[in-house]
Amino acid sequence: MHTYHRRNLRLAPALLLLLRLMGITSAQTPKPNVTFEEVPASKSGITWVHNNAHSADRYLPETVGAGCAFLDYDNDGWMDIYLVNSGPSDFFAPNAPLRNALYHNNHDGTFTNVTDKAGVAGGTFGMGVAAGDYDGDGWVDLYVTSYGRNILYHNNGNGTFADVTDKAGVSAPGWSTCAVWFDYDNDGKLDLFVSSFVAYEKSLNILCTDEGMSRRYYCVPRLFKPRPSHLFHNDGNGKFTDVSKESGIADSPGKSFGAVATDVDNDGLMDLFVANDTMPNFLFINKGNGKFEEVGLAAGVAYSDAGKPRSGMGVDAADYDGDGWQDLFVANIDREVFSLYHNQKDLIFTDEPGEIGTATQMLSGWGLRFFDYDNDGDPDLFLVNGHPDDFIEMRTNRVKYKEPLLMFENTGRAFKNVSAQSGAAFSKEFSGRGMATGDFDNDGDLDVLISNNGEAPLLLHNEGGNKNNWLGLQLVATKSNPAAVGATITWQAGGMKRSRLKTAGGSYLSSHDPREILGLGAAKKIDYVEIRWPSGKIEKLTNLPINTYLKVIEGEGIAKSGASPAK
Amino acid sequence: MIIFSDRTAGSPTVREGLSRQMPFLTVGLLTLLLTASFVPAQTNNLQARLENAATLIRENRIAEAEQQLNTILRTTPNEATALNLLGAIRAQQGKLNEAESLLTRAAKIDPTFVPVHMNLAFLYVLKKVPEKTISELKEVIKLEPNNIEANYKLARLLLSRGQTDESIVVIEKANLSSPASVIFLTLLGDAYFKKGNADKAAENYLLALAAHKDNPDAMMGLAKVSQSRGDTRTALAYLSQAKDVAGNAPEVLYGIGVTALGLGIFDEALSDLEQAVKLKPDEPAYLIALGAAWLKKPDLFAGEQSFRRALQLQPDNAQAQMYLGYVLYKQKKFSEAKPYLEKTIKADSKLPEPFYYLGLILQEENEDEQAVTFLEKAIALSASFANAHVALGASYLKLKDYVRAQRELELGAKLNPDDSKAHYQLAVLYARLKDPKRAQAEMEIVERLKTIDQQIREGDTFVISPNPR
Repeated sequence: MHTYHRRNLRLAPALLLLLRLMGITSAQTPKPNVTFEEVPASKSGITWVHNNAHSADRYLPETVGAGCAFLDYDNDGWMDIYLVNSGPSDFFAPNAPLRNALYHNNHDGTFTNVTDKAGVAGGTFGMGVAAGDYDGDGWVDLYVTSYGRNILYHNNGNGTFADVTDKAGVSAPGWSTCAVWFDYDNDGKLDLFVSSFVAYEKSLNILCTDEGMSRRYYCVPRLFKPRPSHLFHNDGNGKFTDVSKESGIADSPGKSFGAVATDVDNDGLMDLFVANDTMPNFLFINKGNGKFEEVGLAAGVAYSDAGKPRSGMGVDAADYDGDGWQDLFVANIDREVFSLYHNQKDLIFTDEPGEIGTATQMLSGWGLRFFDYDNDGDPDLFLVNGHPDDFIEMRTNRVKYKEPLLMFENTGRAFKNVSAQSGAAFSKEFSGRGMATGDFDNDGDLDVLISNNGEAPLLLHNEGGNKNNWLGLQLVATKSNPAAVGATITWQAGGMKRSRLKTAGGSYLSSHDPREILGLGAAKKIDYVEIRWPSGKIEKLTNLPINTYLKVIEGEGIAKSGASPAK
Repeated sequence: MIIFSDRTAGSPTVREGLSRQMPFLTVGLLTLLLTASFVPAQTNNLQARLENAATLIRENRIAEAEQQLNTILRTTPNEATALNLLGAIRAQQGKLNEAESLLTRAAKIDPTFVPVHMNLAFLYVLKKVPEKTISELKEVIKLEPNNIEANYKLARLLLSRGQTDESIVVIEKANLSSPASVIFLTLLGDAYFKKGNADKAAENYLLALAAHKDNPDAMMGLAKVSQSRGDTRTALAYLSQAKDVAGNAPEVLYGIGVTALGLGIFDEALSDLEQAVKLKPDEPAYLIALGAAWLKKPDLFAGEQSFRRALQLQPDNAQAQMYLGYVLYKQKKFSEAKPYLEKTIKADSKLPEPFYYLGLILQEENEDEQAVTFLEKAIALSASFANAHVALGASYLKLKDYVRAQRELELGAKLNPDDSKAHYQLAVLYARLKDPKRAQAEMEIVERLKTIDQQIREGDTFVISPNPR
């Protein structure tokens, strides 16, 4: 026995050394491998298909695709899905009625189409969707943008919606693309920003062809005039005032796509980063008096390094390096490279794409999102790609119409391309456009929904993200805006402290699961969660469970009745 | 020696630069031939042994030749011809310092011995000391004013170093002694073209053609003149004529390709250089020029392959290393690019380009403080390197050193007013300095330059508006 003990003593240090060399100690566990697996329509029940009104005349709206959303329209704690379709317009008369689609989550991995019952079929040439409880009645509403008439659907709370666009005063005529619900004046109500794309109508469609006039291509947006975007102030009582001029937003006409509301200067006021196609991007800084100042040029986020405006489409914002300052991302078209703008403070950004730059050189990016796919606490990055022109392969053999998805893992200060290890879907190619994130099965990791142009959507289930521990929060504001946009959540677990700003919008034409999943890595206990609400209230929560969803009510702490049922 | 240089100051063409590095053995042989004519009175035995050594060298029996020459020098250590021959051998063997020692000894012993001055001239080319090459060639001309080769080489070297007026003086003096000499007329055309006098250049090229109608160099010169006058059609016609004359001569095809490259006629350049490489696949200079042509297409991958092949043939080729480093940088393969650029610096620390590209890589890696060091070095080597000033300004801008940023960017824009990046960075700077008017003015310049650029580049779709109602 004595000998056995002495032998063990000799072995133990050696074994420990070996383990250390292998990078494994008792404090660490192997990193989970996370993949995204396709959920086929036969399993999900999502049989709806996008129609992009493809024609030989090649009208520009045919190229830009549409958006999608995860939202809980019936407050049952499960994410439902909304998909936007094209429809009648001045250049398109579909043979059969085209509809947007609202799919109810059946809680078992399947969905049921409830569009007609809900009354949200659309009926315009739909573009994007933004979900937000604009009237604070506890039921999430929908704003659908269009080439044509935008629609504000008020959620009646009984599974149905009503078109209240005109009554609310948020029609924003012309070609609208992305919309963002956010509270720019911190009055506790969700205001609405709507991106405007180019001045376009059927009569303005010009022939864009090649030297031999052998075929017609989609025209580049550069050929059309810009238009100012819209900012609508939520006056309460279901009405809005168009403050585009007063706020200064209308001083900067653009050809705008993606928009995200975030706070880039940490002054407690939500700013806007807006991507423009063939024009400089906009960074609208909220000055706090109902005014915005556009500072894209000085900030270094407007143009490429050579001073060229690029074809900005999808955007997002997050503090990817954990330095407490919000960084920005914009996806561009092929040969323009996507930009990861690192916030240097003082409203200055430097473009540091790293591996993302190399991987995206020949790609065109649309939907995209910073989210913690593996629950290790860092925001990672998912990109959805596809070239706008389906004839591109006839002009060059270096760019394809359908393009692969990309997944980048956050390594702390940069991103690593992990697409090859992220599932079979990453070896396929899509005409990807809108993209939303949401935990549709409530298993604690974020799934992805992609709207493909002229094709069926793609639902990807996250497998492996919840192998790390997590805590899901549903923030319910009482004084702050209903979506708690602008809240800062700080959490500490396992010696790791993280912080996240609740942004609004982001991606492309799409809207996301409003809950926040806090990644804890391997930590088995969460030390605390601190929420700084937009109203200014700070709440610190301790003794929290993990691997579950909690509802947190502003000023009251954790709700007694649970939030979303966790799987 | 850089074709595709970002420097705004004119750079020597590859044709000029590479032709400076004549194979030494050829020179050596030439020297041997000259030596045979100019050997001062020798004993028959010594002369026979020297001639024997020369024969052995010609037959590439170097070891035996060395033995022969060493034997001669043991008994007659101050035998200039033997020292000259042995010096030539050492140079061919790459033992440049030893070669210099032998040749300078020979020159000291017999300062009027022309071949040794010629050999020293070429040795200093290999040692990259052009000032000494110039000095030696001038010495030859002093001794033999009608020495065609010396006059020609001197004129070309002066031209390549930007000493254009001096070059013209040499040519015109030499031309006087050999009227209607085709090569001098062509070179004079080159010199006047470099001076910016297209009319005088054309005059001399035409005279050269009149003297010898199948002169591809004169045709290429006329192509350059035509292109400078905006007449690409005529330029192409001259290049086509040069190609007809060239037949399957790879060196001429190479020259035409390089000319076309310099004229911006990239498809022509690619075609000629591909042909040259096909005919002579083991010539690093051709592969480098072809790679440069691919870069202009742009096909970075094809360019990379060409440079890699050149390096396989000649691992120490500094130009190929630099180009490969550049093309890897452009593909954002920074860790691969750096060693090649560093090797280039080791081979020639007077080239500003590798410092510049290393600076750019460090910028991309957000190591702007280090980038500043490299970019300043590039500028120290070439004060008129506009792009380096702009890059340095951009780094200072990132480092928030606005005073220095302004200085460098304004200088960069002055040196190259058509650089949109300089104007853009200035726009950002002025915007940050809260000078929106100046920022706007700079962006208007960027917009104007972009429009011109787009009209040149984006030719693959045309817009046709519908008929007005």
